[in-house]
Amino acid sequence: MSDTGTDARATTTAPPEPPQAPPRPTPRRGAQWWVRKALWLALFLVLLALPLYLEAQWLKAGQYMMVGAVGAIGLTLLTGQAGQLSLAHAFFLLAGATSYTVLSGPTGDPELVGFGLDPLLALLGAVAITAVLGLAFAPVAARLRGIYLGVASLALVFLGLYLGQSAESLTGGTSTGRPPATFELFGFPFSNDGDLEIAGVPIRETERVWYLFLALVVIAFLLARGAVRGRIGRAWRAVRDNEASAAVMGVNVPTVKAGVFAVSSAYAGLAGVMTVLWFDILKPDESEFGTYGINVSIAYLAMIIIGGLGSVPGALVGALLVNGLPQVLALYSTQLGWSTGTGEGAFTPILISSFVYGAAIILVVLFEPGGLAAIGRRIGQRLTFTRRGKE
Amino acid sequence: MTTAELRVREVTLRFGGLYALDDVSFTVAPGALHALIGPNGAGKSSCFNVISGLYRASAGSVTFGEHELTAYRPNRRARLGVGRAFQNAALSPHSTVLDNVMLGRYALTRGGFLACGLRLPWTRREERRHAARAAEICDFLGIGAALHTPVGGLPYGAVKRVDIARALAVEPSLLLLDEPAAGMNAAETAELAGTIRDVRDELGISILLVEHDMGLVMDIADRVTVLDFGRVIADGTPAEVQADPEVVKAYLGTDNTESTEAG
Repeated sequence: MSDTGTDARATTTAPPEPPQAPPRPTPRRGAQWWVRKALWLALFLVLLALPLYLEAQWLKAGQYMMVGAVGAIGLTLLTGQAGQLSLAHAFFLLAGATSYTVLSGPTGDPELVGFGLDPLLALLGAVAITAVLGLAFAPVAARLRGIYLGVASLALVFLGLYLGQSAESLTGGTSTGRPPATFELFGFPFSNDGDLEIAGVPIRETERVWYLFLALVVIAFLLARGAVRGRIGRAWRAVRDNEASAAVMGVNVPTVKAGVFAVSSAYAGLAGVMTVLWFDILKPDESEFGTYGINVSIAYLAMIIIGGLGSVPGALVGALLVNGLPQVLALYSTQLGWSTGTGEGAFTPILISSFVYGAAIILVVLFEPGGLAAIGRRIGQRLTFTRRGKE
Repeated sequence: MTTAELRVREVTLRFGGLYALDDVSFTVAPGALHALIGPNGAGKSSCFNVISGLYRASAGSVTFGEHELTAYRPNRRARLGVGRAFQNAALSPHSTVLDNVMLGRYALTRGGFLACGLRLPWTRREERRHAARAAEICDFLGIGAALHTPVGGLPYGAVKRVDIARALAVEPSLLLLDEPAAGMNAAETAELAGTIRDVRDELGISILLVEHDMGLVMDIADRVTVLDFGRVIADGTPAEVQADPEVVKAYLGTDNTESTEAG
């Protein structure tokens, strides 16, 4: 009988070994486990190698998918794992983008506030600030649930729209915006400065930012995965499925709810920093539709629904579709000779991809509420069963 | 194992003008298998909710050992050794049995988002140790073979056992069981009776049981408290309670109707 250690009661109340313990299936760490590990590693290696082969515009499209991936992971933790519907994701994106720009901005500008911090510190600061903003929303989140929470959180997007336009000393205003500081890591600039080559391919700004974003996605992904599988993830799911039983099992429900809001906001804040680095300008929206508008909040919801609510890998695939499609269509449209129309009613890549992911959501809700993650799981199970059958 | 005494003293629970519990007092002796019975709407579940902290009593006190439970929020009561299984087995259907039972270890473990996310060595060690204990508890309740199966795919009887396993994972010294046999057939109920007795005997903890199945109650309980319309109408051994005219009246109707039926 193993000693559970931390608690004295645990050892004294240990039941005696049942006479014949039924054989317990060992945690699967067989061939399938290794195959899965190998596939992830292969994917990672491919992503590492892509900048050596792809043109800058494709890398740029890929970077935008990675921005979506980080934001979507944050939202799937909040909405999928902890069951808190949030439409405020775009607001936290804006908060992260603004925080980074202000913290890293040059000091001494008469019209713009800047703290001149090291970009890495500014990035961490932006994540911390958005986490605190998420916490500040916690009293509302603790009192509302479901669609009511969604509507209340939507108010933040409009607050962001107003603040973005009026706080010009922070955001630079809607007409000109404000450039963010180039990201630097211990003095290494993520710009075209300096010569760097890998296998004869010059590694310039686009390639460097690709690697930066890839690193951020990997960190965001691993943290989320560990949390979901650990103690805090169980608390999230317990709060989602039944608050009363969660409380009786020892979960402090209001604290856990506030915490997951902070975590999700921090992810959105990081996605905001990545957004502003991607555009290379912080420009607050002129209307409720824009870079930090309702459409973005809804796009993030679409990512996590298509990917499967609560699934971290699903969020990655959702981001690939929802953020990737407009980019890829835009690139192809010039090749295919589409007139990339502008103005009212034009068939822009963004409009077309809105239709596509709208349709994808309908298909998911009708036929597979578990999203792509559930489909993936089923394929995985089928493979295991066929292999076991052969053994 | 020394387990404390649960004393419910003059507890009143009002919803507006409605008395769900009216001056309810009873004591669960250490190590007792105590049943709380009564007709539908008698206030049994309300009483459970007051003890586990989901309802706040309008008046009265609930003490467990030297702790005044009413002063603690529900999540703190788990740490004091109060475990509870739910009438509707409030589990996460998509999560595995082990994952559900591990929730019961929440108060005994530590680690927030960063500690879990970074998979720090001490977090992983703690996780392994507690998972082993959770697996033991599942074995004890006969669901060890289903450890990695999602709860949603299990038969009803097994789901109820997962709920009990989760409550036991809290390492309670008082276990509250809310209608564990509801919806079970006779064979399943008999098996469950054995399990409940085993839990009490092997772990030496007190069990407070709400149950409609009188056969089960009279079979395994040491002591029975009967509630009707929020008041305690009888308290004693199963035999005493069964013979109590008040109890007969509450369950079968008044003397008046009996005599009209007879006449």
